[in-house]
Amino acid sequence: MSSVTIRGVKKRYGAMAVLHGIDLEIRDREFVVLVGPSGCGKSTLLRMIAGLETISSGDILIGDQLVNDVPAKARDIAMVFQNYALYPHMSVYENMSFSLRLRRQARDVIDRKVREAAEILNLSKYLDRSPRQLSGGQRQRVAMGRALVRDAQVFLFDEPLSNLDAKLRVVMRTEIKALHQRLQTTSVYVTHDQIEAMTMADRIVVMNAGRIEQIGTPLELYDTPVNLFVADFIGSPSMNFLRGTLEGGAGGAAVVLSDGTRLSVPSMGRGKAGQAVVFGIRPEHTALSSGPEGAQVEVGVVEPTGANIQVYARLADQPVCAIFTERHDFHPGQPIRLGFPLDKIHLFDAESGGRL
Amino acid sequence: MTSKLKRSLIYWAILSPLMVVILFPFGVMFVTAVRPREELFIYPPTWGFSEFRWENFSEMWVKTNFGGALLNSLYVSVSATVVALVLSIPAAYAMSRYRFAGKGAYRTFLLMTQMMSPIVLVLGLFRLMMTLGLVNNLNSLVLTYAAFNMAFTIWMLQSYFNSIPRDLEEAAWMDGASHLTSLVKIFLPLAVPAMVVTAIFSFINSWNEFVLALTMMRSSEDFTLPVQIYAQVAGRYQVEWHHVMAATVLATVPVAIVFSWLQRYLIRGMALGAVK
Repeated sequence: MSSVTIRGVKKRYGAMAVLHGIDLEIRDREFVVLVGPSGCGKSTLLRMIAGLETISSGDILIGDQLVNDVPAKARDIAMVFQNYALYPHMSVYENMSFSLRLRRQARDVIDRKVREAAEILNLSKYLDRSPRQLSGGQRQRVAMGRALVRDAQVFLFDEPLSNLDAKLRVVMRTEIKALHQRLQTTSVYVTHDQIEAMTMADRIVVMNAGRIEQIGTPLELYDTPVNLFVADFIGSPSMNFLRGTLEGGAGGAAVVLSDGTRLSVPSMGRGKAGQAVVFGIRPEHTALSSGPEGAQVEVGVVEPTGANIQVYARLADQPVCAIFTERHDFHPGQPIRLGFPLDKIHLFDAESGGRL
Repeated sequence: MTSKLKRSLIYWAILSPLMVVILFPFGVMFVTAVRPREELFIYPPTWGFSEFRWENFSEMWVKTNFGGALLNSLYVSVSATVVALVLSIPAAYAMSRYRFAGKGAYRTFLLMTQMMSPIVLVLGLFRLMMTLGLVNNLNSLVLTYAAFNMAFTIWMLQSYFNSIPRDLEEAAWMDGASHLTSLVKIFLPLAVPAMVVTAIFSFINSWNEFVLALTMMRSSEDFTLPVQIYAQVAGRYQVEWHHVMAATVLATVPVAIVFSWLQRYLIRGMALGAVK
């Protein structure tokens, strides 16, 4: 069993509290992604699981074993670092076999394991090279190979793709996911890139300022974000937020914007009439409206990406973005009517940011 | 003529007086070392001489006990360097890797001690060595040189150690290495260039030191090279200048060459410390 349990974990550096009480259960064989903006504590949490940082309070268990006081070398965890951390004075083969040599395994066993891992990661040709002779992607694969040969209980990834160019990142993302599907080892992956989180995770943990905002599958987070932060963080381009006042009434619940525009919402949820709320709708869910519903906007900037057209406009002096997959010939200044399907609308309290 | 060539010529022209001033003593030293004894005091002095008298060197070797003094210098310089390094490496590692109270003050203290010249402290050091019973013992020089060099070696090693990423040791720990194993198998191999450069600087400083050696060593068979050469000149009625210069050539030229090769690493080490 190689689950990871984090119970009430807090971390402080002197007077500064970095983690305010994290509770998280990572199941065996799960691929969990910790995602959040810089400084939210995700790397600190990962390093505490690894044993590279001390725990100020709380418990971390790997399987059934409490590991608070177990040193990093004894935790049977493999880690892939952001800067690869390959040993520059050793060849690729020696880098990958280092942990096995430390455990004094038989030479033929070491050789077999290293070559198997190299085969999986397409590194067989590079075993005699030194790290400085490799490209970024190759170095990252060697770092993964070093983790792979160990047969560890848990794999930890600390933003491994952030030093790679965009195209390579996409390729490596898929490789890591394929590797996980093959090996089924419990993995904890840290990134600030929500696209990496969405594409790779079984479950995502969204963190902000030392706290967990929401835990869920990628689609749960996409469809039902519990607050403004998660709604804004997940999805690219991010969700449109329009501030207004909630109103009930005979015509059904609606959000009234500062310029009087009424946007229908399916229900008031936990909100009350007169409450300051935020109306949320993802750009890809907006459509062109032919009827009286929706809102009239003036096209500002048009960005064709090839796969779709992104239109930036302003509604009640607030920015709004719409994405259309059909080809339209919009020009700046052109008035268009945007429609917001009721089942795709999100409503949040303006003050607390919580979902209504 | 290209502008680059023109510029180079101008710079060389501006620098040449400085070069002459610096190289002139070395030129005189070398010429005096290789010319025949009879031509030492030709007036007016000329650069030219009739033949290369390489026997000056072999005569000098025997007459000035050069071999003995060379061995003394080697013993003192190597031992002082080893002692300084053995103590500096853990200190520099601690300064580079750990946070502890008073770290800033310690670093300032190291900087301040580098500004102290041994000449200022020579009386106090002599009394200290007397108390320890080490006067006229080469080990007194080993201890004092090691102590003086340590401020510099710790400073320089720390700068280099800072440039070795912490990730590497953390990766080693994750791979199952203990702190000691990661230090020996990962960190130290990467620190070897820094240690070699630092060792050579410490060696050169110890090799060239004069005042403390003159003060601590009383009998001529225990003199180090700088003092032995000085002894060929001081208090003598007749000075064999060709021997003195031959000894000086042998004592200074190899070290000067090594130092000129090393000075870019010194600059790099200091710059690393500054930027980080």
